[in-house]
Amino acid sequence: MSTSGSGAIPVTVLTGYLGAGKTTLLNRVLTENHGKKYAVIVNEFGEIGIDNDLVVGADEEVFEMNNGCICCTVRGDLIRIIGSLLKRRDKFDAILVETTGLADPAPVAQTFFTDDDIKRKTRLDSIVTVLDAKHVEQRLADSHEAEEQIAFADIVLLNKTDLVATGDVGRIEARVRALNPFAKIYHTSRCNIELDKILDKGAFDLSRALELDPCFLHGHAHDPAHDHSHDHEHGDDHGHNHGYDHAGASAANPIHDQDIRSISLATAAPLSADKFDAWMTDLLATEGQNILRTKGILNMAGNDRRFVFQAVHMVSEGDYTGPWPAKDNRRSRLVLIGRKLDEAALEKGFNGCVA
Amino acid sequence: MATGTNRGQGHRSGGRVTTFSFGDYVVGAAVNGQLFAVGLGDGTVRLIDSETLDAEPVTVSAHKGAGLCLSADVDKGAFLSGGDDGKLVRLAPIGAVEVLAETKGRWVEHVTAHAGSGFRAYASGKDVFVLGKLGAPPRKLSHPTSVGGIAINPKGRRLAVSHYNGVSLWWLATKDSEPVSLQWQGSHLQVAWSPDGDYVLTAMQENALHGWRLSDGEHMRMTGYDTKVRSMTFTRRGHFLASGGASRVICWPFTGGGPMGKAPQEFGGAGGPPVTAVVANPLHDVIAAGFEDGTIVLGQPGPGGSALVMKANGNPITSLCWNPDGDKLLAGTESGDVHVADFRPI
Repeated sequence: MSTSGSGAIPVTVLTGYLGAGKTTLLNRVLTENHGKKYAVIVNEFGEIGIDNDLVVGADEEVFEMNNGCICCTVRGDLIRIIGSLLKRRDKFDAILVETTGLADPAPVAQTFFTDDDIKRKTRLDSIVTVLDAKHVEQRLADSHEAEEQIAFADIVLLNKTDLVATGDVGRIEARVRALNPFAKIYHTSRCNIELDKILDKGAFDLSRALELDPCFLHGHAHDPAHDHSHDHEHGDDHGHNHGYDHAGASAANPIHDQDIRSISLATAAPLSADKFDAWMTDLLATEGQNILRTKGILNMAGNDRRFVFQAVHMVSEGDYTGPWPAKDNRRSRLVLIGRKLDEAALEKGFNGCVA
Repeated sequence: MATGTNRGQGHRSGGRVTTFSFGDYVVGAAVNGQLFAVGLGDGTVRLIDSETLDAEPVTVSAHKGAGLCLSADVDKGAFLSGGDDGKLVRLAPIGAVEVLAETKGRWVEHVTAHAGSGFRAYASGKDVFVLGKLGAPPRKLSHPTSVGGIAINPKGRRLAVSHYNGVSLWWLATKDSEPVSLQWQGSHLQVAWSPDGDYVLTAMQENALHGWRLSDGEHMRMTGYDTKVRSMTFTRRGHFLASGGASRVICWPFTGGGPMGKAPQEFGGAGGPPVTAVVANPLHDVIAAGFEDGTIVLGQPGPGGSALVMKANGNPITSLCWNPDGDKLLAGTESGDVHVADFRPI
């Protein structure tokens, strides 16, 4: 048996509203000579103008596992389709999943941590969200899907920037950044970006993201050994406030008319792995429905390697990866994106994890 | 019982196991008369004559893409194959290929047929199509969500279709009927009838089986599996439902009112990799089980233990199939090796 390591097939999830430019990007992936053959799962079979036997239509069938646990909501059609694609795996190198503009990205992401076969043979490479710069502010004002898609993104393509004034681009990017401090943001027109910037990036995978971009600052995690947990038990080892080092001014980013926000926590004091595990287990069990994504790079007492952690709602994984880049900069960072986040309680809980 | 572990290029007979190396994922296996059929991820179907295992298997190009499902057809020696090219293909006994249906952009994911009643059914997305006489237009049965599995009951009169949140039961010969709905929340995949037709069972996306007793709608929930259950089989007289999904073969008793409140019996394996395929022998009280590490055993519930047919070789077993006489067992694997074990007395 192999875990998702070198042999695992990378999966890129493409989200964004209708008209943002997803189909343009898909057609480029299917036609450009980038040396890889993609199996593409689309939601509207007719939209793709290319006849390719590795393009398959999906139905976006979302269902709840474990008798209605909302955080076990997965895409059943993806499980079926990817399960069958894996039987002809020598025919393609990577999978690209397109979702509709109205889709919540969480069930797509959770699918890759829930089904045994998929977990074993694929790895979620990145969630790429395409935004129409001209209309994204309106979308953010009138729907919750747009902000969810931004909140879940590892990579954001701020597309059609040629159609808006330069000053507006800065304002829009600031709003995106406030919703999601760890996403990589690119400005494009007609999705004009080198495909190697978005495909097979390991953006979902913190250990790789750090290798590719040593300056990658914000929390983000994944683990080649796949220590998934999905625990509804309650941990009870809440510690108390020891000395800590707060992240500072940009810690919380509420948006006036939005209910999703991000909170960044940081400390220079080494953390206790046991305390963090107990706190996070309890936090995700009780608040996982409101917490969309969590990413962290943590300095655990007694270990020279970085502990990387990430979660999509309640589905989490974490493990020790490579060494810290510099001995004097072992700051633990944790970023949470969600609704109804109690900043004071989160800060207290995080600081209670200090060893 | 004879054992052997012959592997290699081409096919060779060694001990009592003959191995064919087809080189592509085995998506399904079926038997019709003395002919075994093996569907592969490269879209071909290989036909193996169980009486002449030293002969070269016949290769039939069935699909442009991958094969997804395979069944014996209603006529002797014929098979049905569905693929991700949207085609349902019939392989006539002499190896001729006939396209029975084609849907662009859709996959044919499940197919089954009942020799006694002459009905065939196949599933594509949310729809199941029922074919009676060849050439007649198929009857379309629609469902609210994608179909996870289909099965015709032993008498050949009813069709069970699993999907999200339950199973729909259709009468095959009666048109315009609404299905009987068996409900249970979750995603239901493989579906099976008990040999007496009194129970319908599904393997779920969760690590569990679910069942309904049709007489009173009583639910059965069978849990405790390590992984998703990808295979289940009723023993020939319906005394046990054997299943994969755990490191041993899990057998639920179906005598005396069903498995409710009873513990399952187990055999084979020893806490290692999970059972990936099971199939009951058609004539004897014995079950064949294949494991993720390539091990194949024969056994039965109870203290008798199990007999090793093939040792672990790291190549997961995807499908198992007995010949009608129950003395030859075909096993398909992820790598495309196909083993046929011969249990006839020498």
